[in-house]
Amino acid sequence: MKEVLAPPGSRVIMLGNVAIARGALEYGVAFASAYPGTPSTEITEALSYASRLLGAPYVEWSSNEKVALEGAIGAALAGVPAMASMKHVGVNVAADPLFSVGYMGVPASLVIVSADDPGMWSSQNEQDNRIYGIHAYIPVVEPAGAQEAKRAVIEAFKLSEKWGHPVILRSTTRIGHTRVPVETGEINLEGIKRKGKFEKNTERYTLVPAHARKLREELVEKWERIREDLASHPLNWVEGPEDAKLLVVGAGLGYRYAKEALARLGLEDKARLLKIGTPVPLPRKLIVEEASRADKIFVVEEGDPVVESQIKEALYDEKIIVDIHGKEKGPIRRTGELTLDNVTAGLARVAGVPYEAPQPPRPRISLPPRPPVLCAGCPYRAVFYALRRAVGKARVRPIYNGDIGCYSLGVNPPFQMQDTIVEMGGSIGLANGMSHTVEGQIPIAIIGDSTFFHAGLPGLANAVYNRAPMLVVVLDNRTTAMTGHQPHPGIGVTARGEPGYSIDIVDAARGLGVEYVKVIDAFNIKEGEEEFYKALEYVKKEGKPALVVARGACILLAIANARRMGVKYTVYTVDLDKCTACGLCYKAFNCPAIYPGDDGKARIDPLLCTGCGECAQICPFDAFHPVEEPPEEWLRIMRTAKPM
Amino acid sequence: MGRVLNLVLAGVGGQGIVSLANVIANAALHRGTNVVVAETHGLSQRGGSVIVHVRLGDAEAPLIPVGEGDIMIALDPLEAARYAHYLKQGALAYVEQKVTPPPLPGVKPPSTEEVVRSLEEAGLRVRVVPAIRRAQELGNPLGANVYMLGAAMASGVFDGYLGPEDVEAAIKLVLKKPEKNIRLFRAALAEG
Ligand SMILES: Cc1ncc(C[n+]2csc(CCOP(=O)(O)OP(=O)(O)O)c2C)c(N)n1
Ligand code: SF4
Repeated sequence: MKEVLAPPGSRVIMLGNVAIARGALEYGVAFASAYPGTPSTEITEALSYASRLLGAPYVEWSSNEKVALEGAIGAALAGVPAMASMKHVGVNVAADPLFSVGYMGVPASLVIVSADDPGMWSSQNEQDNRIYGIHAYIPVVEPAGAQEAKRAVIEAFKLSEKWGHPVILRSTTRIGHTRVPVETGEINLEGIKRKGKFEKNTERYTLVPAHARKLREELVEKWERIREDLASHPLNWVEGPEDAKLLVVGAGLGYRYAKEALARLGLEDKARLLKIGTPVPLPRKLIVEEASRADKIFVVEEGDPVVESQIKEALYDEKIIVDIHGKEKGPIRRTGELTLDNVTAGLARVAGVPYEAPQPPRPRISLPPRPPVLCAGCPYRAVFYALRRAVGKARVRPIYNGDIGCYSLGVNPPFQMQDTIVEMGGSIGLANGMSHTVEGQIPIAIIGDSTFFHAGLPGLANAVYNRAPMLVVVLDNRTTAMTGHQPHPGIGVTARGEPGYSIDIVDAARGLGVEYVKVIDAFNIKEGEEEFYKALEYVKKEGKPALVVARGACILLAIANARRMGVKYTVYTVDLDKCTACGLCYKAFNCPAIYPGDDGKARIDPLLCTGCGECAQICPFDAFHPVEEPPEEWLRIMRTAKPM
Repeated sequence: MGRVLNLVLAGVGGQGIVSLANVIANAALHRGTNVVVAETHGLSQRGGSVIVHVRLGDAEAPLIPVGEGDIMIALDPLEAARYAHYLKQGALAYVEQKVTPPPLPGVKPPSTEEVVRSLEEAGLRVRVVPAIRRAQELGNPLGANVYMLGAAMASGVFDGYLGPEDVEAAIKLVLKKPEKNIRLFRAALAEG
């Protein structure tokens, strides 16, 4: 992360997301909020690193994306440049304020970073959030790759400042998670420390219908003026011969693919390349001017055909008829992310030039898949194991309503204890509906601690209010693990490393009126089994929600904490005389540190073992032992570790 | 467009593929070579399969096109085979000797020999490198990534793009325990 503070005038390797953070600092962002989510997280991590050293800007991990955006709107209304960052689906959570803020406008610049994930590398869907820009009347700036990320965020702030209007910066996985050399400028130290003052403007900042109607008129009119202005925006330009009959449009990262595909096919001198950095609202003037000279248009963009469809609209209105190729009818695939193969082959077809795709090596061997798995020592493995046994003992037919977090990995064998995964908070939400409609089954909502604060609370309030018989299992691993171990409201540390208040999940649940609340040690399988059993019995008997908090730190976090405190953990080993090769540990429990030897007996890889001690609890033959007595300190850290 | 060297890095989450890519990117910067590195983050890092695209030279786009990779460095034979189609016919693949079995109940993965045979039959040139073992023997069990880079560099495939001094400068800049890693890198250069 340290590269975010590289001295001005240097050239350093940066992740696109770090470049976005740097750009925000160079512009002078004074307030930055976010909820973690791949591929956006490193933006705020870099800002938090900078803030710890510079004392500014104000940076926070908010409890969810709606709260993050509301905070940024508040800061902007108070007159300081603000930014809210989130992954694409986070914008869905923040959509409510997003649709209002365009009406109000902002006195200081406001940038909303949406990190889209085409290809779904770590998401439940592919959604192109440039469409939000169209829908909510918010201009979208899109960098042409990580190479342009820093410049684009600065331009986004400037555009917002110029129009007193929010702007969306749309990034994608291959921008945020691509590393390139970046040239640094001066950090605006005065800017990031700026304090604001809220100036009342009731007709603008209170969206009662009478005000909103007026603002809507203004907004629609302003939108067209912004569109016109964007025709000369510095992130839009044209390259190549003016008289070319083929017009290639590259929006955002699509520009890089288009440019390289043109070079690969030797078409640089035969095609005009229109680079679009402001896809929404599409500057019609630019496209109409270029299209009127072309007889074919080829559009390259990441995501849905957002630019393509706007081009079609614009040209239809101007009665310009040309062939337009892109994603609506091909040749570029609409699903997944752009690839150079696909763009080159498509361009060759449209341009009518020969292109022979290489015949790549295809080894003829059948490979086992390698899905991500719960780490060796993950507390969730013990919890799933205990829960499954309790469910068997209580003779209930469970519906495992899963959620978004590392525990989603419980969908795979051997546990297969995630029957539904929809979105953050969906576990309790879906369980609500099921609990009133199923017969003979009990919904079990499995939700992480960060997710509980993010979107679990309203669902739980609903469950209590409407008396929904369900078991809620809160996996309190002391962090937001999946996205790289950020703190959350239950932790008591802020993004800037300062002490915050730590909200106890037990208090929160009791406060919402859950009558049955228990805390268990996530690493203690016997206790887990007993307590889950009792809770299930309660749900059956009382017909009300019960909540069990399984507390135990993410083992990676525990190890990091232990290392910092100079505490060593003790690995486990197998007593081969006791092991009967039953395979329970490496099949039914499936710890990745345990593997079968040629004799079928268990072996432990000491490099992978994290000393969690779960195997020693499940082995019926007492074959696992620590190589030495585990230090008390380690056992404590396993239960109490937290992000720094 | 000028020259591009496409390098595919493959392995298992946790093996240090992303750090290796960071070393290579910084080495390129040290040399003054342009570079674009597309990484895998997030979910795939929990012991899942990882591929990183490294493009040295005059590349624009972040991803290597299928069939156009020049070199592969794979810290696992299975992952080498999984991403082999990113390589050109005749490309060089540096493949770790030890298979890291996917932690799925009851799965028996193919052996390194089987994988290597399939790669060669598919038209690749393969060098098997005991990087995990050597890194362990040389007292740096997490250094197989750096060892692998040294082994590949020894054969001259990076000539004109990067040299050992660039890599060493990058190691100093981005890795923890740089002395240990430089020692390992030099050993690999000598043994490669
Ligand atoms: C609306 C939304 N925001 C953010 C994310 C990204 N995300 C995926 S998993 C996850 C972590 C959830 O943390 P927690 O519930 O504590 O589970 P853990 O990963 O620690 O097991 C986040 C933030 C998302 N998928 N959806
Ligand atoms: S990162 Fe932590 S919570 Fe996630 S699987 Fe690993 S140990 Fe479990």
